[in-house]
Amino acid sequence: MSDFRYSQNEAHPNKTNTLMTGIIVLLICLVTIQIWLLYSALNNALEENFGIALATFFGSLVLALVSFWLLRYLPEPRIIKSRK
Amino acid sequence: MAENKNSTDKIPNWKRDFPVDQEEATHVSRREFAKFLGLLSGALALGNGAIVVKSMAFPHKALEGEHFVCNVADLAPGEMHQFEIEGSKSIPYILIHLPEGGWRAFEQKCTHLACAVRYRADIDRIECPCHRGYFDARTGVVIEGPPPRPLPQLEAVDKNGKIYVRAMSEPLNV
Repeated sequence: MSDFRYSQNEAHPNKTNTLMTGIIVLLICLVTIQIWLLYSALNNALEENFGIALATFFGSLVLALVSFWLLRYLPEPRIIKSRK
Repeated sequence: MAENKNSTDKIPNWKRDFPVDQEEATHVSRREFAKFLGLLSGALALGNGAIVVKSMAFPHKALEGEHFVCNVADLAPGEMHQFEIEGSKSIPYILIHLPEGGWRAFEQKCTHLACAVRYRADIDRIECPCHRGYFDARTGVVIEGPPPRPLPQLEAVDKNGKIYVRAMSEPLNV
């Protein structure tokens, strides 16, 4: 049966390359937002602002889950068949 | 053959036992880098969760009761007195006798990086000498510099010539 993994493995290296770069750029964006959220949480938690700490935690958790989900679409390494 | 023997002699035993190519060991593929970013993302979410847990486990407690600081006669107008209140943790405060006669008490830790702030009568402001942060001496709000928040304030009351401090009855209106 053909699924996304099969199609991805069969894709042209250029396409795989673009996909890999796209995923890494997205991950860097997500991590950057999370750093900003963590900074806000720390800053507000010091002032005992619990609401901000909780809201940033849920935001950060959602972004982490999106990051994990994105890893699913990482192209698999090319298997170089050894000649026997 | 003899050359071959010589070259194998030069390789130390430990290297022969663990034939790991340095280039191969230090190489980080894009796949590994992406996985690392995923791990970092999870760690950041956990860190954020730790802040929530800490806030829930150790909630902020307002100062209880009234605490004697000093006599009115001890502090001339325009002067500052440093004192501490012992509690779950000892927090340093400053008591300011304003030039026009009022009394103000603030936490001494700057809200930027916790340097000790001081009252400067010549400019009538509270100054953080570390990074030139300035606070209003009456309300504690930030006038200039890097501090992100106003100084936490206590209410100072004059009772028969003695100055007491207690938690603010009304939140600071800024």
